[in-house]
Amino acid sequence: MRKSGVLCVNLIAVAVCLLAAHAAAAQGNYEIQVYGADTVAPKNLMVELHSNFTPEGQKYYIDGVIPTNHQEHETVELTEGINDWSEVGFYIFSSWQDGHGVQWVGDHIRPRVRAPDSWHLPVGLSLSTEIGYQRAVYSPDTWTWEIRPIIDKTVGRWYFAVNPALERTFHGPDVKQGLGFAPGAKLSYDLTPVISAGFEYYADYGRLGAVDSLHNQQQQIFAVTDLNVSPKWEINFGIGIGPTAATDHLIVKGILGRRFDWGKHSPVE
Amino acid sequence: MAAGSLALSRLSSAQTAPGVVLEIAPYTLEASPKHHIRTVAYNGRVPGPLIRMREGQQQSVEIRNKSANPEIVHWHGLFLPSEIDGAMEEGTPMIAPGATTRYTMQPSPAGFRWYHTHTFAGKDLTKAQFGGLHGFLLIEPGSNPAPYDREVFLALHDWNGHFMSSDDGYMNPVYEVSTINGKMLGFGDPIQVKSGERVLLHILNSSPTDVHWISFSGHTLKVIALDGNPVPQPQTVPMLRLAPAERVSAIVEMNNPGQWVLGEVRKHVQVAGMGIVFEYANAGGTPIWNQPEDLVWSYRQFANPAASPSPAITPISLTFDAKFQGHGNEELWLINGLTYPQNSAPDKFPRLQAGQRYRLILHNKSMDDHPIHLHRHTFEVRAVEKGPEISGLLKDVVLVPAGTTVEVEFLANHPGKTLLHCHQQDHMDRGFMMVFDYA
Repeated sequence: MRKSGVLCVNLIAVAVCLLAAHAAAAQGNYEIQVYGADTVAPKNLMVELHSNFTPEGQKYYIDGVIPTNHQEHETVELTEGINDWSEVGFYIFSSWQDGHGVQWVGDHIRPRVRAPDSWHLPVGLSLSTEIGYQRAVYSPDTWTWEIRPIIDKTVGRWYFAVNPALERTFHGPDVKQGLGFAPGAKLSYDLTPVISAGFEYYADYGRLGAVDSLHNQQQQIFAVTDLNVSPKWEINFGIGIGPTAATDHLIVKGILGRRFDWGKHSPVE
Repeated sequence: MAAGSLALSRLSSAQTAPGVVLEIAPYTLEASPKHHIRTVAYNGRVPGPLIRMREGQQQSVEIRNKSANPEIVHWHGLFLPSEIDGAMEEGTPMIAPGATTRYTMQPSPAGFRWYHTHTFAGKDLTKAQFGGLHGFLLIEPGSNPAPYDREVFLALHDWNGHFMSSDDGYMNPVYEVSTINGKMLGFGDPIQVKSGERVLLHILNSSPTDVHWISFSGHTLKVIALDGNPVPQPQTVPMLRLAPAERVSAIVEMNNPGQWVLGEVRKHVQVAGMGIVFEYANAGGTPIWNQPEDLVWSYRQFANPAASPSPAITPISLTFDAKFQGHGNEELWLINGLTYPQNSAPDKFPRLQAGQRYRLILHNKSMDDHPIHLHRHTFEVRAVEKGPEISGLLKDVVLVPAGTTVEVEFLANHPGKTLLHCHQQDHMDRGFMMVFDYA
């Protein structure tokens, strides 16, 4: 699971603005998720709806970017399994806000590969890359790219995942900033076969090799729960706080996913 | 009554040569030129040697353990004393690495039995039943249940397992290689047959955990015995289902010349290697596989309608369930709310009375199917699948599907500790066992 490239690019741009404006950060949270290493099975389509609301966020326009306070973001994510070790994801980002109505924000595409089971690695390992466009009123950097290693491990009731993502802007004010470092991590515990609870951490430290001051870094921590009601469904809820000035201070997130198996299966299988 | 005796002392060379010698030692199985599996085997082969014994005739056995781990040999389906049946939980001594054990037995009942290791694997999916320690045992009957020209013994096995999360959220073993008689499809010698022959197939599922579905392209299978016991209603069927440790004996009329595949019906298992070629004399061409479209099997078709129940049956209700241990763990298995050995404490379970007939009511509340095996006894399946009670179906393993109840009866006529367990190795290892004792 992971936080979207849109968000991270926005965060970098806003952090730069903050240096000059001394204002709280503006940011766009479209997909807040730390990825697990597994990929969607071939001939399966995973349809997810990410719903994120910012009760307490940036209240002012910064450099033409619409403030995030009381923004409702709805992101549709479609992920198709290619084979046993790869998938392709596609995103449609949208935003709703008083005075702005429902707005299309942008689209991303995200291919991903993982280490096959036959490698017998002691951890789950995959590599995701994402490229896409978002409108300048929601993100000054319009074309962005991300590469995201994903490592996860389940031990008994505990689950751990880390996504040390790197980001790059291709078009926008931050195009000369180089790679940014925006890791995510998750630790959860199975309370029952159905209910898991834990924490997710998201950050954007700024440019690789020249990290921002803590004040200007993105730092968010979410208390989350996952409901494992069926292999066909993915359900995740969380509430997160951002303690630094450059972060939205309160966000509520939810993910509802449904897996569709469209392959033809013989009854004997 | 169970008969046999145990001599645990080291052997002297002056002793009479035993009738059966099993040497347990490391072995590398070549399932195909690209699949070499380092395992442990009996007498340097997988499956181990076919052992034939005459029912009731005293037989001496010598077991040499040249492996690195303590071992034990379970004689599956025989009525043997607990001391030599081959389960540590019943009191059979383990054989230390480098040690040799010798004992005598009077094998019974007649039929297709087998022998195998009965040790603990845990998370090491190369040990115990995950490895190569299994072999065929035929206790020759006084008369054969059906005429045949020749016998063919086939063992189904799965190898190179590793734990993966399954749809039920638990960790279960999955396998990279599946074999018949230690070979992947296309890499063993074909079985040569002649047109007009009646071949008696003795098929054993020695897989550590998996049920297998077998069909024989171009041919049908007339099932005459299950778990080595003749069935009351022999039936001709298009395919067989064998849970772990189950056996099926079936007559095949070789009346369709050519080269044919006998193999797993599910494509992904056959691709992993579970198949073998039957080749008629002078047949050309390539082996043919006809893919079945459905999985078809029922225990009930081989049984008689139920006769009047015996008046003196003591019911024993056993409820199987799982205790969640996290999505990264296998579940813990419970019988009547307790795992082994807590469920076998004297205050938890009534002792069996010799001569009494018992009905085991097996409630499976879990999400998995379980092949339940009772040591040292044969039971009669009385209630299984949907429909009225049945009779005459004698077995030592019965598959209890998830969420169902199966009822079996047995006569407690072999005093001594008696193990009941799920024959899935990983379930056994996680507590799915209990020991009955006699008063």
